[in-house]
Amino acid sequence: MNTHEYNEAINAMQATLESEPSRSLIKDAFSRLLANKGAVVGMVIILALFFVAFFGPYITPYDFLSQDLTIRNQKATWAHPFGTDDLGRDVLSRIIYGARTAVILSISITFISFIIGTIVGALGAYVGGKVDAFIVWIIDLTMSIPSLLLVVVINTSLKPPLIRWMEEMYLKTFRPFYRETIWVDFVLVFGSLALIKWPKAARIIRGQILSIRNQNYVTAARASGVSTFGILKKYVIPNAMGPVIVLLSATLGEAMILESTFSFLGIGVRPPMPSWGNMISDGLRVWHIHPHILVAPASVLAIVTMAFSFLGDGLNDAFNPRQWN
Amino acid sequence: MFRYVVSRLLRWVPTVLVVLLVVYALAFFGAGDPIKLIFLRAPGDVAYDEVRIEAMREEAGLNRPFFVQFADYLGHLVRGDFGNSLVSGRSVGGMIKNALPITLKLGLAATLLLTLIGSVLGVIAALNHNKSLDTIISAFALTVWGIPVFVSGPLLMVLLVRYLNVMDVPYGWKGLFTPQIILPLIVLSITPMALIIRQARSAVLEVLSEDYIRTARSKGIPNIQIVLKHILRPILTPIVNQMGLITINMLNNAVLIETVFGIPGLGQMTVKAISGSDYPVILGLVFIGSTVVLTVNLAVDLVFPLLDPRALDKREVKKT
Repeated sequence: MNTHEYNEAINAMQATLESEPSRSLIKDAFSRLLANKGAVVGMVIILALFFVAFFGPYITPYDFLSQDLTIRNQKATWAHPFGTDDLGRDVLSRIIYGARTAVILSISITFISFIIGTIVGALGAYVGGKVDAFIVWIIDLTMSIPSLLLVVVINTSLKPPLIRWMEEMYLKTFRPFYRETIWVDFVLVFGSLALIKWPKAARIIRGQILSIRNQNYVTAARASGVSTFGILKKYVIPNAMGPVIVLLSATLGEAMILESTFSFLGIGVRPPMPSWGNMISDGLRVWHIHPHILVAPASVLAIVTMAFSFLGDGLNDAFNPRQWN
Repeated sequence: MFRYVVSRLLRWVPTVLVVLLVVYALAFFGAGDPIKLIFLRAPGDVAYDEVRIEAMREEAGLNRPFFVQFADYLGHLVRGDFGNSLVSGRSVGGMIKNALPITLKLGLAATLLLTLIGSVLGVIAALNHNKSLDTIISAFALTVWGIPVFVSGPLLMVLLVRYLNVMDVPYGWKGLFTPQIILPLIVLSITPMALIIRQARSAVLEVLSEDYIRTARSKGIPNIQIVLKHILRPILTPIVNQMGLITINMLNNAVLIETVFGIPGLGQMTVKAISGSDYPVILGLVFIGSTVVLTVNLAVDLVFPLLDPRALDKREVKKT
């Protein structure tokens, strides 16, 4: 093969390559995701949930606190599509505000646990040695004990002193901020839940960095003088994206479930602030007489968790094509 | 083998120590002094006598530094003494002795149920790979995996008791083989069942592509015999491997299930201890919970080489 023929062959190859539109990893995965019906339905439900959560105050027909004792425990009517509860509050409005609670808390939990997880995971992967061994030990430790119990202990033991501190600060400064003890609930719930959620993020991020860093193309890039930051930007982050996105969606769903679990047990968000968990726990008291008070929030929570499962499964298939059989 | 068990136990000790230390510290610095808690909780206007409280603290040894008290607690724990409840004054060990068998019975029954049904469903799904039966079973697994038990439990209860009227209100505990245990058992086993279904399904799919299955098929061995002889054994490994995770799941869910259905096991004890800030009880429960999880993990590790001798070799390689 002479030089001329060789060049022609190369040009022909380039031409065929350019004629097909190039697609990025993310776009490719996204098109696979859209082909999965269950995942699309899940995504639509979750987007609707986020919409309702952000615009809640503008679309609720009633205030979540306004009581009307003349219409207690009513079944579904046109005025109250999901009925009213034992204080005559509109169940639909309370569910919408419950969605706000759930979304705000689960986004904060996911955000915090990912920040901690990324820092710790990257630290372990890059420093290695004893630091890494210690981090792995901590991760294994948190994953091998019944975590719910531990988090519950954190919540119950730190709440009274924090509230006492807020009261003292209020008496000293008379700032209205210190009267809102609802913030203590929120901070404690997402703080303690982030505490049990970060190890999973740390484990996956650490594993991703370790496996990508040892790939031949990264070694080649390093040999040709690409800086650490450049390698991170060009190779590590885009390649680690898939598992991280899958984990992100899973953590959002799990955090939402954990928040409602807490409120169900009466240690998370306290009434009158609505959360799906404490609505279910309220409904459980009167379920035999007025089942709708229980069924409405429980069904909403069930649908949302199902949506997260299906979306997570779709994302997993879309971003990890190597797992296909 | 013996050395392996001992080394596992030795690695477990620091884990439990750290967990107990964290909980003890939270109780010590967060919740405050147990004697004061008892006084605050006493009915009526009990005189808040500083001198008397100090005397009682002195007597109970609460004036000592944190680590001395913690070491003292550990010393009692080793001798099987969990201390006394702050609320009822009963011994924590006795309370656990009453509650633990109930939760264990329920958990074991649920584990047995979900493993059997889950692996059968997983095998069926894999044998009908990409057919409608597979889609239905996989969708079922996905659906039940996410739904928390305090949602599925009450919803099923409303459906079965109030609308279909097929059972009485399931409440309380009168033994494992009574009708009111059916619903808690179903709810408790349905979530981890999804895990087993998916594991069994992917394991069978993997096995089906092996050469020895093709050989068996080409020899004309009937399908049912292939499944019984060549497929069931390899799927045992991933299923047994999930037992640790399932145990944690069971313990977490027991807290919720026992609240919903009024079962006086460890879960209900936990909820009561939490609402009463009853720290000796909480510490005892944390200890028991971690012990149960450890025992299961250890059992899994011991059974593993029996099922798959290759696993032992792999682990030996990893250790060196």
